[in-house]
Formats: sequence, structure tokens, C-alpha cells
Amino acid sequence: MTRQDFLIKWGVYALALLPVWFCEVYVLNRFPVLGVIPMLLPLAAVCVAVLEGAAAGAGFGLLVGVLCDAAYFNADGTLTAGMCLVGIGAGALAQYVLRQNLLGCLLCSLAGLAFLDAGRILARLFAGEAGLPAMLSVAGREILWSMVFVFPVYALFRWVFRRVPKKTVL
Amino acid sequence: MKDFFRNNGGLILIAAILLALVTAVVSALLGGGANPLANLAGIVTTPIRNGINAVTSWAEERYNDTFEVEQMKEQLEQALQRVAELEAMERQYEAALQENERLRSFAELRPSSFEFDPESATVTARSTTNWDATLTISKGSSMGIEVDDVVVDQYWNLVGVVAEVGENWATVRTLVDAATELGGQIARTGGAAILEGDFALMGEGKLKLTYLPENTELISGDLVTTSGRGGVYPPGLAAGYVEEVRTDASGMNRYAVIVPQTDLGGLQQVFVIKDFEVVE
Repeated sequence: MTRQDFLIKWGVYALALLPVWFCEVYVLNRFPVLGVIPMLLPLAAVCVAVLEGAAAGAGFGLLVGVLCDAAYFNADGTLTAGMCLVGIGAGALAQYVLRQNLLGCLLCSLAGLAFLDAGRILARLFAGEAGLPAMLSVAGREILWSMVFVFPVYALFRWVFRRVPKKTVL
Repeated sequence: MKDFFRNNGGLILIAAILLALVTAVVSALLGGGANPLANLAGIVTTPIRNGINAVTSWAEERYNDTFEVEQMKEQLEQALQRVAELEAMERQYEAALQENERLRSFAELRPSSFEFDPESATVTARSTTNWDATLTISKGSSMGIEVDDVVVDQYWNLVGVVAEVGENWATVRTLVDAATELGGQIARTGGAAILEGDFALMGEGKLKLTYLPENTELISGDLVTTSGRGGVYPPGLAAGYVEEVRTDASGMNRYAVIVPQTDLGGLQQVFVIKDFEVVE
């Protein structure tokens, strides 16, 4: 793959991230379901990691993490590292344990969202900001509602994956 | 080039950790000021936020026009009845004010009042996660807005406190956010307490009033205002009303569940109190 192919490929992936970010930050947060709004950006990192592998997932996760830290309130940099880890983990799981398909993406998304919410819960528990039952309730509903969006997000990145130059990783 | 990610996976992770550390340090150093990345993102996305806000407001207005006419008629009737009651009360207050003036004159006291410096702003976005309750407003440090400035609605009901400031935007931590903590006062009794956000109540759009004064019986509907103690926040801003009194998990302490006076979900315009002064 030439340098130009490489840049085009990841440029297209970055462009595909824009509607996901837009929907999460500006549209879906106005219409909570079960009292919560979904997390779409982590799903994007997981989808690309599942399709492209662990190392590429790390790079895309880094990009998504930076975007999250820029877009979310009270960002302290943890999402940059967290998303990178989610990308690596999801990519490795899909490559070596599961399959690089929708089912693999669903399971990796579940694990990725649980990992991120576990981090949030632990941070708040240490800070003594909230009770565990209340946080588990929010995390459970958040993960459940977010999982619904795995299908459209996976479809979007699968569509991109089929059209961009291959063999970056695999 | 083709194996770039494969060969550099570890490096990317290290870069992510370093970037996270830099962001954490910069955020800590800037206090409530937005980190450069968040500030840039806020500035770049301002037109998008404004555009979406305009479209949403328009759609909400059309929806209200279409489906809520009957409800609005009922509300108007209630409001007119309330105005009549308030007018009757106003007449009593007039007499009380005159008496107060006479007594102040007798005691040689000057009347106290507050001078505010409000800045009008539009609400352009709402919380982006389920872990906080915030609003993004259309004014920032370029208009003199600072962290800890109090934000109210058009009826002087407390909305929240500015928590993060960018160049032309600011994030307001609403009073139901789990991190909120400020002095409150029960209007009926004058008793002081603490208005505190609670994660479990945040999802319901409520907060709690803790450290209730001993021997104080709260009544459902009691108004709670800001106490102004400490001089950080202005006194007398309506925070909400008591919904019920509960006992905490230890069974030792009571707290009141407070419903905000302002409609946090429907806010479109707010006022930031940049500066205030109590004039005695």
C-alpha cells in the first residue's frame, strides 16, 4: 500500500467518524431513552478495531479518544488512553478469539463499553462521589441502549472497510 | 507504509498514554479553563451547535403550537388565578414594606439591595454523557465569563454554576449535577442547609438539601433559595422546592429532595451573573 493509499484509507475512516460524533453529541443526547443517552464513539473505535485488527484499532482508538476528550465535559485525558486500550483489546479479541464479523463486534462492543464504564465507576467510587447501585444502574442502561447502535455503526464502517485499500494489517 | 500500524502498535499505545498525561496535567493547571484541545473543539463546533439549536428550537415551537394548545390554555387559566392571588399578597407586602421602611428609618439603617452584572447567553447544547448534568452556553471568556459565575433563568431561578470556560463558549454545571454543592436557605423558616447534587437523583432531575437545621419541620412545597453565605454566590436566588423528606442509608440523617424551580430540560436563554455586590 502506498503512502497515498494509506492516507486516503484513514482519512475516509476519520470522515466516517464525523456523523457518528455528530449524532452522539448533538442529536441523540436530546432524546434520552431509559433515562440515558448512548455512547457511539467507543462503538466506532471497536468496529474499526474488529475490522482492521489490534494495531490499527490502537491508532483509531487514539483518534477517537482525543475526540472524546475534546467533546466531553471534564475531560482529563483518561479517555485518550482508555479508547486506545479498547481498540487494542477489541482488535486482538476479534483477531485471535472471536471472528471479525458482526457477532464479534457485538461482543467486543459489550466488553469495551463495560471496560469504560467500569473505569468511570471506579474513579467515582474512589472520589466518593456516588453510590455503587446508582452508578451500576446508569451503566447498565447506558450499555444496553448503546448496544442497539452497534448495528448502524458497524454497517457504516463495514461499508467503508469494503471500499478502502486493504492489507494495512492483515 | 503498509505495516505501519502493525509495527507501531506499541508506540501508538505509548503515545496515547503520554497524550492522556499531557491532557490531564494541562487540565489540572488550567483549573476551570478549558484545555486547548477542548477549547479548539468548542470554537470550531460553535456554528454547528448554534445551527442545531436553532433547528431544535424551531421544531419544539412547532410541536408546542400543534399539540400543546389545550395544555397551554389550562396553564394560562392557572397562571391568571395565581396572578390574582399574588396581587392580593402584594397589597399586604406593600403595607409590610412601608412598615419596614418606617422601622429602618427609626433604627437609622439603610435598605439592603443587590447589584448584578448579568450577561445574556443562549443554551446551545446539553450533557454529552450520562455521568454529568451540564449545559453549554454561547458566551465565554471573551465576554468576561469566569468559572464559578452563577447562571440563572429569566425568572432569577438558579440554573447552575459555570464549570468550564472556552473562548466563545462555557459549560454550566447545573444544580442537579452530582458535583454541585452550595449554601441553601429554607425561605419559610430562614434555616440554612446545603444544596447538594446526588448521582441517584440526577437522572430524575432533582437534588437534595442536606444538613437540615434541627427541629425544623419541612413542608412539601417549601421554597429553598441560595443563602449567599461565604459571598461566592448571590443570596435569594430560587433553587427549588421541597418534594419530600427522606432519611439516609445510615438512618441517622434526614435530607430533603428538591425539585428545581427552573425547567432545566426546556431552557433556551440564561443569564450569567458575572459580578454582584450586596449594597447595605
